Amino acid sequence: MPNSVMNVVDQGGDRLVLHVGPQHPGSGHFRIIVTVDGDYIVDAKPDPGYVHRGAEKMAEYRDYIQNIPHLERPVIIDASGVTLPYVLAAEKIIGVEPPVRAEYIRMIMAELNRIISHLYWLAIYGIFLGHSTMFMWPMGDRELFIDLAESIGGTRVTFSYIVPGGVRNDIPINFKERALKTFDYFEKRIKEYEKIFFNNPLMAARTEGIGVLKKDDAIRLGITGSNLRASGVDSDTRKDEPYCMYKKVDFDIPTRQEGDSYARCVVRLRELQQSMNIIKQVFDLIEPGPVKQVLGGVMRGEPGEAFVRTEAARGTMFYHIVSDGDKIPYRVKISVPSFRNLIGMSHLLIGSRLADMPAIYWSLDYWPVEADR
Amino acid sequence: MPKKTKIETALIESLKKKFNTTIKEEYVKPNRIKFSTTSDNFRNLAQAVKELGFDQVISQGGTDYPDNNEFRVEYHIICVSIKKFRSIIFSLMTTIPKDKPEIETLIDIWPSAEFHEQETFENFGITFINHPRMEKLLLPEDWDDIPPLRKDFHLPGRG
Amino acid sequence: MIETFEEFVKRILALLFWFILLSPLIIFPILFLLVPIFGIDVTTVNEILTASIDPIKALKLVEELGLGPSSTFFKVVAFPGFTFAALVATITILYERKLIAKTQLRVGPLYAGRFEGFLQPIADLFKLLGKELIVPEKADKAFFWAAPILSLALGASLLAVIPLSPTIYIARSDFSLLIPFAIIGFSPLVVLIAAWASSNKFAFIGGLRALHQLAAYEIPMLISILGVVVLTGSFDLMEIVEAQKNMWFIIPQFLGAIIFYITILSELERVPFDLPEAETEIVSGWLTEYTGMHFGLLQLGVYIKFYVLALLFTLLFLGGWNGPAFLPPVVWLLTKLFFVISLIIFPRAVLPRLRLDQLIRIGWAWLIALSFINLFIAVIESSLGVI
Repeated sequence: MPNSVMNVVDQGGDRLVLHVGPQHPGSGHFRIIVTVDGDYIVDAKPDPGYVHRGAEKMAEYRDYIQNIPHLERPVIIDASGVTLPYVLAAEKIIGVEPPVRAEYIRMIMAELNRIISHLYWLAIYGIFLGHSTMFMWPMGDRELFIDLAESIGGTRVTFSYIVPGGVRNDIPINFKERALKTFDYFEKRIKEYEKIFFNNPLMAARTEGIGVLKKDDAIRLGITGSNLRASGVDSDTRKDEPYCMYKKVDFDIPTRQEGDSYARCVVRLRELQQSMNIIKQVFDLIEPGPVKQVLGGVMRGEPGEAFVRTEAARGTMFYHIVSDGDKIPYRVKISVPSFRNLIGMSHLLIGSRLADMPAIYWSLDYWPVEADR
Repeated sequence: MPKKTKIETALIESLKKKFNTTIKEEYVKPNRIKFSTTSDNFRNLAQAVKELGFDQVISQGGTDYPDNNEFRVEYHIICVSIKKFRSIIFSLMTTIPKDKPEIETLIDIWPSAEFHEQETFENFGITFINHPRMEKLLLPEDWDDIPPLRKDFHLPGRG
Repeated sequence: MIETFEEFVKRILALLFWFILLSPLIIFPILFLLVPIFGIDVTTVNEILTASIDPIKALKLVEELGLGPSSTFFKVVAFPGFTFAALVATITILYERKLIAKTQLRVGPLYAGRFEGFLQPIADLFKLLGKELIVPEKADKAFFWAAPILSLALGASLLAVIPLSPTIYIARSDFSLLIPFAIIGFSPLVVLIAAWASSNKFAFIGGLRALHQLAAYEIPMLISILGVVVLTGSFDLMEIVEAQKNMWFIIPQFLGAIIFYITILSELERVPFDLPEAETEIVSGWLTEYTGMHFGLLQLGVYIKFYVLALLFTLLFLGGWNGPAFLPPVVWLLTKLFFVISLIIFPRAVLPRLRLDQLIRIGWAWLIALSFINLFIAVIESSLGVI
């Protein structure tokens, strides 16, 4: 192994090279090689690749249906967000359009997954700042949303629910009542979260002004998702290039101008409220009808290519599928938001304190398994 | 029903005037534009596209075509700052021969392409000249086989 | 090589067994020879054997030997000494876990013992006893073993001069307020020894952070209680509590009480000052390399310190054992102690952690200034004859 990666190098003076992770409670399956001078970070080199499974290569050996559970695995906590763009691209290649009711149900699943993913993020952010109650409460409330998603998809995490041609099955009959009850309860809980965490002066002291990402840097470095919206750019793929039935629902894009970690937290909290808003509107718009267009035989596509981008929980997810007419795709290129945000991480860490590293690193919502594919 | 491509066609008029025959228009569809050129002209085309306002590289990848003995290198650019261009994905394509897989890096034009180019290097063996770190990012450091996304690399047990 | 604490205990028990078995053969003949030659009055075999059957005679024998309930030995070891402190410490650990759990919509320990898991500390004790004692290869062995013992010794030695009621105390002193604080001043040394001996980068960073924190909050802690001394005119804890017969000192010395409370949180490394143990940044800080009973002894030392500091807060600001006469004074003291312990535990449920520079700025700048203001107020109050 190259020495510069494995050995600990003491660079003399006050500099210390620390390997944070992957066996570290504060890093996930990912390593950052940090050079510290006293308490300040002078260099941060991310080292992803610990969970690289070659998803893109393996996708070339599986047909379009088999790829759905396969490509769902990199981001299991946002399962619908990662399979939806793939299925949209596959539908373009195969040449099939889903029925309208299926598109509404896809929106419900995508927004539910967004809430589930953001609550997980909020829980881990609380524990990174040392606030154990802010770890327990979102994890407990997240179970209610997982129960809702389980009643539709059948499993708790990896549903494989969205297929080319529609969705696998219809939503249960009493789903609307259960969902509205859960949303009422959760909106009260959000007020308690604000009291104990977001309006907590100690939490503000830890996150305000920390890790400031200016607007030009965010655009230049390719940052995406809530991080971009917290830096003042109101870009959201659901509004920029609407897919499914997002044109028919009316929602805001929460944006803030400061670009620090606190802004990123608040943007995600507001997105939770907007997601519930979207699902409520979908309940009013949805009409009875078929949910799947049954495709006979094996799915084959015309030779060509398709690109699709959607707004997953972490940012804009992009798929590029090249087909040569066979039943297995020729090339599947996935561009995940966490991989694109990685440059922002080293940019933000340099010049900040070692004690702020968890607050900055996790506020970018970097999911190592997704970035490695 | 023909879909409207007004913004897209207006966008590429200036490009066509500037480059004339050295670039080839692959297609112009609603929200999707694709141009290709030779690898020496690639940087100039990229610079011109940047000046049009496209500022973020959303994806950069390669594809292996063993029949033609070439790699296809693609950049997909989006625009985040100008609102009316936000729905367009602008794709740039070039082909490089397999015996000499090198191309100039574009990270001084678009810094967001840095890690993407590193990943393409390790998966295909394409060297990006002037990129500061042509080393393994996702693959293990002691990977001694051919770059895995090439078509001659076969997954064990799957033909 | 002794690997676990369990083996250590087994060896001691084996030694005791053989001693008890062989001692009559060796010791009793010597006794029979000593009595006529040196005229020493020793307990005869008859007395020992009767005492083992008759409890009243046993009590008298134990009193004679100086081990009875009113002897100093009993006071030091059992009540109000080490065993009582350890008992309060373990109850505090369980209470903390339950209180935090209920706030977080959980249940906490539930299964050990029929009612709400009240036997959980005993289960934890057995677990810790059975674990392997891992000493890292590069660690400094002597200091590595010394740190937990020092922590426990520090905690235990604090109990010597603190009274629990006008009649329950181990020793009296005219300076009984200063002695515990002088001993607490050794805590940074324990942290330094533990962190250095671990020979681990993360432990070292944690140890340095702990040193910064403890040093920054020493001075406000000492100055904030000087107000009480000025109002009473004495360093003796008994007299301080006597002086609160009419009004608890928390009323004239409200600022001092708050400052003392904040510095207690910092001294015990509790949230929001638990940076030295920040597990998401530096694994477990200076405690990282300690496992099994090493960890148990370190924690016991810290929790006995917790009990002592809460007790001092009660004696200094909440009137100690003063209360209406229908309950014995010690019961009033324990009630107030329970309340203070809850107050120290609760921030863990609602506050995140402060960063090092924010923590140190609060300690050196704000708290020192406020504690001097408090002292000034106390001098004014004393000269005006408020107390």
